[in-house]
Amino acid sequence: MPRLPGPRFATDCTIDVDGRPVAARTGESVAVALLAAGRALIARSSKYHRPRGAFCLAGSCHACLARVDGVPNQRTCRVPCRPGLSVESQNALPSAPHDVLGAVDHLYAHGLDHHHLMTWNSLANRAAVAFSRRLAGTGTLAGGTPSRSPPPSDERFEAVVVGGGPAGLAAAEALARSGRRVLLADAEPALGGRLRCTLSREGPPLSWAAEVARSVSAAGGTAALGHTAFGVWRDGECFLVPFRAEGPGAPILLARTPRLLLATGTWAVPPLFARNDLPGIFAARGLARALVEDGLVPGERALVLGAGPESEGVGALLARTGMEVRAAGQVEAAHGALRLEGATLAGGDRMACDTLAFAGPRAPASDLARLAGASVSLDPASGGWFVRAGAGGATGVTGLRVAGEVVARVNAAEAAAAGRLAGEAAHAD
Amino acid sequence: MPTEKTLVCACEDVTLEEVRSAFAAGHRDIESVKRYTGLGTGPCQGKSCLALVTSELLRLGAAPGEAEPFTARPPADPVTLAALASLDPSALPRQSAGGSWGGSAADSFPPRPSGALPERARVVIVGGGIMGLGLAYNLAIRGLSDVVVLERGYLNAGASGRNGGGVRTQWSTPTMIRLAKRSLELCRRFAVDMGVNVWMRQGGYLFLAATAAQVARLEKNLPVHEAHGLRTRIITPDEALEIVPQLDASRFLAAAWNPDDGVVFPWPFLWGYASRAQARGVRVLTFTRVTGFESTGRRLTALLTDRGRIAADVVVNAAGAWSKEVAALAGVALPNRPTRHEILVTESTKPWLGPLVSVLEDGLYFSQSQRGEIVGGMGDPAEPEGIEMGSTLRFLARFARAITACAPRTGSLRVVRQWAGCYDVTPDNNPILGPAGFENFLQLSGFVGHGFMMAPAVTELMAAWMSGEIPDPIFERFTVDRFARGNAVREDFIIG
Repeated sequence: MPRLPGPRFATDCTIDVDGRPVAARTGESVAVALLAAGRALIARSSKYHRPRGAFCLAGSCHACLARVDGVPNQRTCRVPCRPGLSVESQNALPSAPHDVLGAVDHLYAHGLDHHHLMTWNSLANRAAVAFSRRLAGTGTLAGGTPSRSPPPSDERFEAVVVGGGPAGLAAAEALARSGRRVLLADAEPALGGRLRCTLSREGPPLSWAAEVARSVSAAGGTAALGHTAFGVWRDGECFLVPFRAEGPGAPILLARTPRLLLATGTWAVPPLFARNDLPGIFAARGLARALVEDGLVPGERALVLGAGPESEGVGALLARTGMEVRAAGQVEAAHGALRLEGATLAGGDRMACDTLAFAGPRAPASDLARLAGASVSLDPASGGWFVRAGAGGATGVTGLRVAGEVVARVNAAEAAAAGRLAGEAAHAD
Repeated sequence: MPTEKTLVCACEDVTLEEVRSAFAAGHRDIESVKRYTGLGTGPCQGKSCLALVTSELLRLGAAPGEAEPFTARPPADPVTLAALASLDPSALPRQSAGGSWGGSAADSFPPRPSGALPERARVVIVGGGIMGLGLAYNLAIRGLSDVVVLERGYLNAGASGRNGGGVRTQWSTPTMIRLAKRSLELCRRFAVDMGVNVWMRQGGYLFLAATAAQVARLEKNLPVHEAHGLRTRIITPDEALEIVPQLDASRFLAAAWNPDDGVVFPWPFLWGYASRAQARGVRVLTFTRVTGFESTGRRLTALLTDRGRIAADVVVNAAGAWSKEVAALAGVALPNRPTRHEILVTESTKPWLGPLVSVLEDGLYFSQSQRGEIVGGMGDPAEPEGIEMGSTLRFLARFARAITACAPRTGSLRVVRQWAGCYDVTPDNNPILGPAGFENFLQLSGFVGHGFMMAPAVTELMAAWMSGEIPDPIFERFTVDRFARGNAVREDFIIG
């Protein structure tokens, strides 16, 4: 049973995957459609040709790349399904399940020291250069000339909020209620951030996201979904934030604002154990969202790794799909040929599982704040970097405020409270 | 079943074991670990691996200052060249973002230098770029190993680690051609001679000329090239299409093609020179900044650093774009003008581009790296003088417009990272060599944007001269007093 029953989760279109039809739901991500079809394996990895599949299911890890409609290296977790979409696996000869170049992984079982590979004589070296060039590179250049992108929309806002999770929603709401014209942007196709994962009882309900979007519009602002900020620059007194819009032919949005509020949340950090890259190992939040929104049933036996409310939450969601669920505090190694088949737990206990949900500490998504000049401090739990912030999310950079999980490890309710304070402070700026 | 690897960076397939060996081999700070292992250089740009490698480095004993997150570089999410080409560069600001490494931890727990500062040395070289390290290596193999190289950051922090890796013989003056030919020969042998791969690939250089004036510029070089045995030819747009089918042939009138020019991967040159020099007794000290000089009469006697004093018989200024600043500490004025040059890299694809392509009209250049990325840059005539290594949105737009006009199919490629380095520009585009200000203060700077490709040949000649051989004429012709004497001859085949 790859999906939960019910009309909400019924497939309504067919995409083409390596020449074979795969049933999908229009609008759901290609990565989820592949998982629902039992295809955790998407491609082979760049150097060792190890099996690769989706991990974060949220656009940050880039493990789920495939050629989509003739364009290489597309994040399948970000591409929505539509009838006739063509998906091809990459970096495999002849196919992802049977890749002869997987031999590289075994040939260099302890790693390939490319710096000192075949430096004995010039003939060997020239061969190494020629051969490795042919092996390198993932995907092949797209065939045609891409159509011209439309001119950017260059727009000024009184405030820009990046991230539509609890902190960003609360900030945008506070600003909009004060009459500010706000741009509330999120890279995902829906607002809510981690509220969409329904992993924790704290915090506002997901339905609140729609209310915020209405408040934002009422104040003359915009909620821009599928818009990813790819930098932060300054233009005189204003910040200049360019957003890449999802989908071919969508214009870049150049947002100019004196008030920038970053509520960018976190990135999934992979767990560390042998074969931690096997398809079938997922970040808890990304997987939870696919369970809830797409009715995905990723397999039969799941292992939940990690402690705390999110691991309990994802365990409950997995159990609700009818899967057998077990929790573990530590995993020594994963096993499996083309996807996860089992895990060795601490103490040597070995169990069979086809799905692993990792609910370990996530890393603050602080890159935009760092580009804007904010300073960061170590988050020892994840190894990532929190943005340093004072009262109201002030960063020390004029006009730049931050809130939510990018500042501290907070639950959704705390993130919303911090976002509201930052939004109110930004209004007064 | 895949082998029992634990992956830290799934984009570039970097294992935990590889991070540990890099650290054990002396690549302690995160910027060096990134360069040595390749982690964080793939499409996700460290979103998944940064936290894992930070934890691991701290566990291995790295100082907090060594584990500061690697330099923030736009774009924060991959974006296609076609989308970027829709931006109008003239409407974009010149302000930059990112570009510098290190935060507050670097002040209190700074990165650990690679060794103790000795009290004295025969030769102290300021600058651990390819010039300084190449010179140290070439001195060492001539028996002069009482040499100390002082580098203010990690290896590859400066222009040597920031350039596009082009190596060409297509120059306009006999001297430059002679040096470039020797460099090319040394690059070809580097991997075997120095025991580290530099991925030298002679895919040729293709210079595109869009106007009659540019064609004339290419044709003027031809007899000089022929006289020096170069295989340069002027070819038609159709012939150029046979070499790079993705070009838009309507955009240029002719091209200069030399099949022997090529590209290298710059970083390992520094590791190769440094490790072979160290094996012969040279001391390469990273994270050591020169703060002043002591002198007696016409001689420098010692250098002052943020870690103490070191006496020297000879001081070499090989600080690249910082040479002017370093010379000024000794009260010596150099005419060098450091000027930012921006560059970027795209996602990788299977090999499709053989040569390095350059468009004379706008200074665009791009090539495909060994890993399959398109690496390219483009000079900006409006760039002011100054040391600045942040990145602009304006460059993304300018570059995207230029490359998608030149090779339209590149529009679907996504830019994953942009950065900048500083050209070390001189009034006549030729280097500053020989003594300046003091008889034992030797200059090795002013190589504009081609210092990397010239370094193997120039450092060999300089070491020969410093060990008592008859100096090559460049050490007399390119002294700093040529500008006062009025006999500077301009090199005008600068790109980027």
